[in-house]
Amino acid sequence: YEDNAMFFVAYTVWVMFQCSLILFVFSVQAHKEVKPQKLLEMNGHTPVPHAYDYDLIVIGGGSGGLAAAKEAAKYEKKVMVLDFVTPTPLGNSWGLGGTCVNVGCIPKKLMHQAALLGQALQDSRKFGWQFTEEVEHNWMTMTESVQNYIGSLNWGYRVALREKKVTYENAYGEFVGPHTVKATNKRGVEKLYTAERFLIATGERPRYLGIPGDKEYCISSDDLFSLPYCPGKTLVVGASYVALECAGFLAGLGLDVTVMVRSILLRGFDQDIANKIGEYMEEHGINFIREFVPIKVEQIEEGTPGRLKVIAKSTKGNQIIEGEYNTVLLAIGRDACTRKIGLDKVGVKINEKTGKIPVNDEEQTNVPYIYAVGDILQDKLELTPVAIQAGRLLVQRLYAGATSKCDYVNVPTTVFTPLEYGACGYSEEAAVEKFGEENIEVYHSHFWPLEWTVPSRDNNKCYAKIICNIQDNERVIGFHVLGPNAGEVTQGFAAAIKCGMTKEQLDSTIGIHPVCAEVCI
Amino acid sequence: MGWEEKQVRGYPEFVQTAQRYHGRPIFALFCGDKDAEGRSWCPDCVTAEPVVRKELHNMPDESVFIYCLVGDRAYWKDPNNEFRKNLKLTGVPTLLKYGTPQKLVEEECFKAELVRMLFTED
Repeated sequence: YEDNAMFFVAYTVWVMFQCSLILFVFSVQAHKEVKPQKLLEMNGHTPVPHAYDYDLIVIGGGSGGLAAAKEAAKYEKKVMVLDFVTPTPLGNSWGLGGTCVNVGCIPKKLMHQAALLGQALQDSRKFGWQFTEEVEHNWMTMTESVQNYIGSLNWGYRVALREKKVTYENAYGEFVGPHTVKATNKRGVEKLYTAERFLIATGERPRYLGIPGDKEYCISSDDLFSLPYCPGKTLVVGASYVALECAGFLAGLGLDVTVMVRSILLRGFDQDIANKIGEYMEEHGINFIREFVPIKVEQIEEGTPGRLKVIAKSTKGNQIIEGEYNTVLLAIGRDACTRKIGLDKVGVKINEKTGKIPVNDEEQTNVPYIYAVGDILQDKLELTPVAIQAGRLLVQRLYAGATSKCDYVNVPTTVFTPLEYGACGYSEEAAVEKFGEENIEVYHSHFWPLEWTVPSRDNNKCYAKIICNIQDNERVIGFHVLGPNAGEVTQGFAAAIKCGMTKEQLDSTIGIHPVCAEVCI
Repeated sequence: MGWEEKQVRGYPEFVQTAQRYHGRPIFALFCGDKDAEGRSWCPDCVTAEPVVRKELHNMPDESVFIYCLVGDRAYWKDPNNEFRKNLKLTGVPTLLKYGTPQKLVEEECFKAELVRMLFTED
């Protein structure tokens, strides 16, 4: 009997040992999915301090996200970047780097340059260059070169992140609970990661009209820069800088371009200048249809490009018009990618109407461990350098004891329309509204770039305007220049404005001759 | 099928080989010539080669690995040599994925992680 009992006890102990081994193995597996502690937290238990997978997870690998990630790696933080491009309605996608690198600033400026070179070829004859062939443009050659360059940038970011030991996953990140995101890759494989802090930098995507045929037949800037065929006769819908810049270079490449505008051009920009930009474009062969909106897009014929019929209605009455185009490019605005990333699961408040995220002056959302930078921020400028600066300074404050905050005032910008526009500070109407018409002084002048004289180009279109605050020593509060190389001209003046330059100081600065910028002195 | 290696010397042979395998993923490692003892005049190439070879098994199936000796030091230093002009190479060693902008140059080739990333990227 005793032997049996001993055997029984020994057997039971052995079985228990086996069970605990199995349980141990399972718990190690489960660790890879959701740690039991995390589940407890998600169910409302008080968080227990413990090791997170990462110090910082950045959702969005664009201008703001990458700058912040690389900066955080400098301070030896464990960082992950989740970047994923949801394909466009037409199935287009791109690599790491965000909008600016792939479907924004970079390809835009290169194609704008392609158009400027076309103009330069025309001008060159007056400077003595002789060529008998008619010069034509090849869309595919340009697009391949541009895409090749973008590819090298995508690769460069991959190498940079890897060298700085930043973990990168090409996966769609969304919050699933406190301190936890789910990353889904293009094959649908899901992984969970936790972090002490998060940075939302998901940017925006083009808006569609919500009319029949828009997603099936229209393209957006997300598609234009890699379009595998020449767009041909194009209708650009919109009056944003995206619309006007694209219309501008497409026309500059020799295409038949029409811009359909609902109301005003370049909302938010100095309207006096906006109208000059529009006039210039019109005088140079771009058609404008004002005060109409498309209500239907139909396909007449398939092809690359095909033929589309656009039906539009007046905003001022019942008039209906129709037009036929090879391509319809929608550029009516961009929407923040904040509605499908699980912000409700972690309580991050967004502006329900616009989708933008309100943050304090330290880019912090209403949830203390979640921050945001870039185009998704409410009431901040949608510019790459702003996102980069905000991202870097934020990380320096978090991990390097810095205190500097991003200065969103007097940020210079440039619109790369055929006649380029550089600006820094107040528009004339904003200055009038803020300070009162009697308290501001506006100095302005048309100018004729020397390079335009010989080829007999417009002598009264380029324009510069300085707005000064009389009550503050005639401090320069607004700078506007319309002419070639506007961006190059504006950059230096932005620094001067940041230093508080007054009209007197500007006057006492000697100009460089012969350049366009000297008109501003 | 796995992958295969082709060893070539000089630009024309490189181009011919790359064209022959058009349609398959092609990776190329460009190094300085080797002397009779099998040592390259390019010290960085000596360092990089074993690192790259160790990662070759990460290349996708059907890949072709072209090991290309570019020439002697004098030829390489000439700013107009065909590799610089046509392939836009800026240094040796260079490891690249042919037909794409993806490449690793000089010390980047010493890092197994980067080499692996080049071989396994979409």
